[in-house]
Amino acid sequence: MAITVTIRSLMDGKPDAERKPLDPILKTENLWKLYHAGKVEVPALRGVNFDVLPGESVAVMGPSGCGKSTLLYVIGGLARASRGKVLVDGNDLTAMGDAERTKLRRSKIGFVFQRFNLLPTLTARGNIAIAQYIHGDGYDPHRFDVVTKMLGLEGRLHHRPSEMSGGEQQRVAIARAIINEPKILLADEPTGNLDTKNSDIVLEMLRRLNKDLGQTIVMITHNPEATTYFDRVVHMRDGIIVDGVPAD
Amino acid sequence: MMGQLVLRNLFHRPMRTLIGVMAVAVEVALVILIVGLTSGILQETAKRIEGIGADIMVQSPAAQMLITFSGSPMPIKIADRLAELKYVQAVAPALLQFNSTGGVETVWGIDAQSFRDVSSGFVFLQGHDLQDPDDILVDDWQAKAKHVKVGDTYNLFNHKWNVAGVIEHGKGARLFVPLATLQDLVGAHDKASIFLVKCTHPDHTEDVIAEIKDLLPNHPVRPLKEFMTLMTSTNIPGLQTFIDAMIALAVSIGLLVIFLTMYTTVLERTRDIGVLKSLGASKVLIVRALLMETTLLCVLGIAAGVGLSYLVRAGFLALFPTLSILITTEWILRAGLIALVGAVLGASYPAWLASRKDPVEALSYD
Repeated sequence: MAITVTIRSLMDGKPDAERKPLDPILKTENLWKLYHAGKVEVPALRGVNFDVLPGESVAVMGPSGCGKSTLLYVIGGLARASRGKVLVDGNDLTAMGDAERTKLRRSKIGFVFQRFNLLPTLTARGNIAIAQYIHGDGYDPHRFDVVTKMLGLEGRLHHRPSEMSGGEQQRVAIARAIINEPKILLADEPTGNLDTKNSDIVLEMLRRLNKDLGQTIVMITHNPEATTYFDRVVHMRDGIIVDGVPAD
Repeated sequence: MMGQLVLRNLFHRPMRTLIGVMAVAVEVALVILIVGLTSGILQETAKRIEGIGADIMVQSPAAQMLITFSGSPMPIKIADRLAELKYVQAVAPALLQFNSTGGVETVWGIDAQSFRDVSSGFVFLQGHDLQDPDDILVDDWQAKAKHVKVGDTYNLFNHKWNVAGVIEHGKGARLFVPLATLQDLVGAHDKASIFLVKCTHPDHTEDVIAEIKDLLPNHPVRPLKEFMTLMTSTNIPGLQTFIDAMIALAVSIGLLVIFLTMYTTVLERTRDIGVLKSLGASKVLIVRALLMETTLLCVLGIAAGVGLSYLVRAGFLALFPTLSILITTEWILRAGLIALVGAVLGASYPAWLASRKDPVEALSYD
């Protein structure tokens, strides 16, 4: 297994020791998610079994309405599973209440969204710092500098989202998602609102996060070209995984 | 960090923030001014009663603390009986008549000589004492308010009075006329509303009060040096209830406006709430953020409300120089606390709603 590097090792200049992960960092077992439209039950996920190893990057593809986003929200603890199990870093999300899932999400999961979802009243600096504040560690200037430099945001930190391009906003969103070194980064079509050039920049940054820092990434995408940046591609259809072959 | 978010959120929508601040300001100003006006009038009246210089006041059995509305005059012969008591130096009857035409004022009909004996007389700034039946004495505040001077005609009770003198304020009433003339005008012949008693020595006051109570057991008999402490809203029937009702009304207005402001804020920021939840913000943190925003808005409103109170008071006093509006630190703090509690209550439901928003739905909200 390749030597992985974390943000921490970048901060202190020492590489991490070689790791041999044994257990998946993310695992779903017979995962179901049912929505209710009046008296009708609509299954968004139908018995999904899905594993992700630490340091792996996985792209999830499928047509609209196949359950990709639902899968992301359930494994990220934003939505509750109807049946089955979701294990994140050994923690069973399905056995947790709302407060516990929130706590887990705070410490182990980072989200990046298609619409960036930055807080409009805060600057780029504020949007990143608030993630540190919510995490409870407070503002760590050293870590902040490492992340913002890695994502090329040094000159844009005092600008608000309305003053930034889509690509810049998405990089701020990525910085916010990784500032607390989450175990898993979940990205819901992060290039969906970007042009080709910015899409490539964002995908390259995600690839670097995965390869250089060992960040585990699960990304939803419609873009077949994006899959070349990932270790593995998983296809979904009608709420189930139909195949999950490695990217190469 | 949260402070920064709260501050920026507040000023992101300046007009909405301004409306919220103004609502709290009006609420605070209303409370301060209502209490200030009632206590100001009561205190100023009490000061003027104490300023007469008499030791005791005797009222009719049905009289109230607010002597303006005394009514039910007593036979004037009671004055003779009072004058015969031990330690009584002088007795002055006065007929009080409330006027609401062309202004709100109380006119005292007095016997000039007996009033002088009890009060040591007026301090004249212009003119002289009551001499003719149609003479009227006006205190300096009233003269300024009505723009009158010695020799002018003063219309009251459909009667033309001649301004005989302008006196220094602070002695009983603002307007004094001859007792006999007022008795004729209002059909209260040989009647008086109150009797002012001067003792031979202030130390004899309690003894004289005891004697008067023996003589007139059903009549309220009060020492005038304690009058100011007695003139409170709790001693005036219905006044405290009125004040409480007005305060409740003011608080309701503030609460409702804050509720609406924060409710629309929560609706507008649904997606932001979803983002915070995706970052792992707890329900407590979300509620805290919204309540912090409300508190800051309220503090701004309280400051504006205090300023507004002083401004309105200045305006009222310019228009009505005889009015007294008492603004005290105690009631500024109370009004602020009332506004704060009301605002937090008003924001509680929207904050609770925000904390319970489904993060997935919130993130897809447009």
